[in-house]
Amino acid sequence: MNGIDPTTGLFVVLAAPAAAAILALLPHPRASEAVARTGSLLAFAAACGLLGSGVSLRWGSYLGLDPMSELFLFMVTGIYATSAWYSRGYLRSISRPFLTPQVYYALLSAFAFSMIAVLVVTDLGLMWIGVEATTVASALLIVLERKPASVEAAWRYTLIASAGLTIALFALLVLYTATGTLDGFRLAAAPPAVSLPIEMAVALALVGYGTKVGLFPMHTWLPDAHSEAPSPISAMFSGVLLPTALYAFLRVYRVLPSPAPVVITDLLLAFGIATAVVAAFLLQRQRSYKRLFAYSSMEVMGLAVIGIALGGVALYGALVLLVAHAFAKSAAFYCSGSVLRATGTVRIDEVRDLRTSMPATGVGWALAAAAVTGAPPFGTFLGELLIVVGALALGLVWVAGVVVVVILVAFLGVNSQVGRMVFGGADPATRAPPPGSDQGWGIPYLNLGFTVVLGVAALPYLTPAIRATTALLGGTSP
Amino acid sequence: MIALVGVGILLTALYLQAESFVDPQIRAIALQSLLLATLLGWLAWTNRSIDLAIIAALAVGVRAVFIPYVLRRQIRAFRWKVRELRAAHRVTGHALAAVALAIVAWFVFQQTLATVFPEAGAALPFVLLVQGLLMLATRSNTIVQVVGYLEEENAIVYAGALFAQGFPLFIEVVVFLDVLGVVLVGVILSIQRDVTGTPEEASLEELAG
Repeated sequence: MNGIDPTTGLFVVLAAPAAAAILALLPHPRASEAVARTGSLLAFAAACGLLGSGVSLRWGSYLGLDPMSELFLFMVTGIYATSAWYSRGYLRSISRPFLTPQVYYALLSAFAFSMIAVLVVTDLGLMWIGVEATTVASALLIVLERKPASVEAAWRYTLIASAGLTIALFALLVLYTATGTLDGFRLAAAPPAVSLPIEMAVALALVGYGTKVGLFPMHTWLPDAHSEAPSPISAMFSGVLLPTALYAFLRVYRVLPSPAPVVITDLLLAFGIATAVVAAFLLQRQRSYKRLFAYSSMEVMGLAVIGIALGGVALYGALVLLVAHAFAKSAAFYCSGSVLRATGTVRIDEVRDLRTSMPATGVGWALAAAAVTGAPPFGTFLGELLIVVGALALGLVWVAGVVVVVILVAFLGVNSQVGRMVFGGADPATRAPPPGSDQGWGIPYLNLGFTVVLGVAALPYLTPAIRATTALLGGTSP
Repeated sequence: MIALVGVGILLTALYLQAESFVDPQIRAIALQSLLLATLLGWLAWTNRSIDLAIIAALAVGVRAVFIPYVLRRQIRAFRWKVRELRAAHRVTGHALAAVALAIVAWFVFQQTLATVFPEAGAALPFVLLVQGLLMLATRSNTIVQVVGYLEEENAIVYAGALFAQGFPLFIEVVVFLDVLGVVLVGVILSIQRDVTGTPEEASLEELAG
């Protein structure tokens, strides 16, 4: 396979956002923006090169790559790049920002760096530090718009996520005492014999990291933080922060031999089903379109966890779903940001007839809503279909039934609300966007295009990585 | 020594659940951190461990002195009446729930982890962790939630010192948790005071649903 030298790629993917985070503090805002954009593109290029190389690598005691980390690096750097490029217009629309553009771009890059660090370290303790660092780097970004609700959301996010992560740390203490090492790669290569303490460690890690993934009932920070953060950051939260936390859990999960003990897969299945069902029904009653998409992210995470629990072809489906969802959901949040900038409201009942007032953004938004809810020909459809097929292949008809119901309920909930805002006729209660506000739609369309490509004919670079990751986690590819 | 300090830490945890005044809660978490630091100091001395000595110093400096000091200044800045209003009528329930949860946590630990952690009182850090979570889940005052966070951090340090000695990067992890605690206290509480003017979590219309 083609690609770049893995060591060079590893260095660039780490150094580019780190350098951008420091250099973004330059005195001139345009220079900060340029630095963040350049850093994000370099990191994305390196991640694409690593995906192409498809190798496993150890670099020193603490750094390493395998197909799973390369796949997630592609997602994280991709959304980092699109968010860095989308941010300019959004920042201009904020009248009294809490952060200067320089600090914003520095924190954006630091946030991306912390996620990337999670993906390239082999030590589970360092990985935990990386996940916790994502909280520190992103909490202040939520309060950018200086609203009481934003401060409240940032507070809940920091506290609840940190509380969950202390449980994950406790899990690592138990795992270390039981195995004598926290080297995730070594533990995965030679899994220790299954024992009650190791099962307990994995279960605690599920609860701990699950808090950051947004699993029910530890999800309460998620809708607040996703809806109150500025849209480019919401895109990073929904698109890649949740999968990054799931990745950290998967590294602990890999300590178990394949197939994993039934008690753990049953626990995963229970959390996945509860999360997907609760989110699908809660999103029906949302009045804010950003909260609507936040609950949709929670529903997708629930489906992905179901796929991981089922294993086999459903696991492959879960990975396809995560990758496609990252790009589709970021498109949805970028469009939400453009609508918010134009109308000044997040209330669903105050936005109508975008088809006429903001045609490019409105139609893109409707397409993004269809994409995040698994409509064909988007990649999310393929992912969700494979999860259902995986459940049926195992004879778990009731699980397949629950998944289908969840998908239909979420599809109807999201698309009916977005459809009303885009295609519904305007009335006196709605806020009409001013002329010339149909801007910033290029990046959402780019991301939507990617999800179509993934659904219709998976990218030549991506399919081997998804297949290899599925094999690493004990699943089977179609 | 280990058992005695462990009982003291457990008592402070139960006291925190039963108290609705904020200032005594801050004093109690400082005392809990001090007790933990004493235990860490003792273990550092008996094991000749520099790492444990550093962690003990951090427990005193950050969680027994610095953060409680900043929190008490926050109370004055808020002009607060030093009472957690919403919890005032529910402390009896909180205390009963805390005792019940402590027993359940102890039982779960003994059933699942006692084989690899045979040390006396090894279940106490797990009990303390659950107590901290209960506090975070049941309280709406942000200062009290910080106290809950500090209790969780104490539980992690307690566990690391008692049964996971040699845990890689433990000092770094503790420093990181302390930094996060300081960020929580110093930055977000200050922003909250400036923007909303109250330390009670508000029920904002925008965050409904």
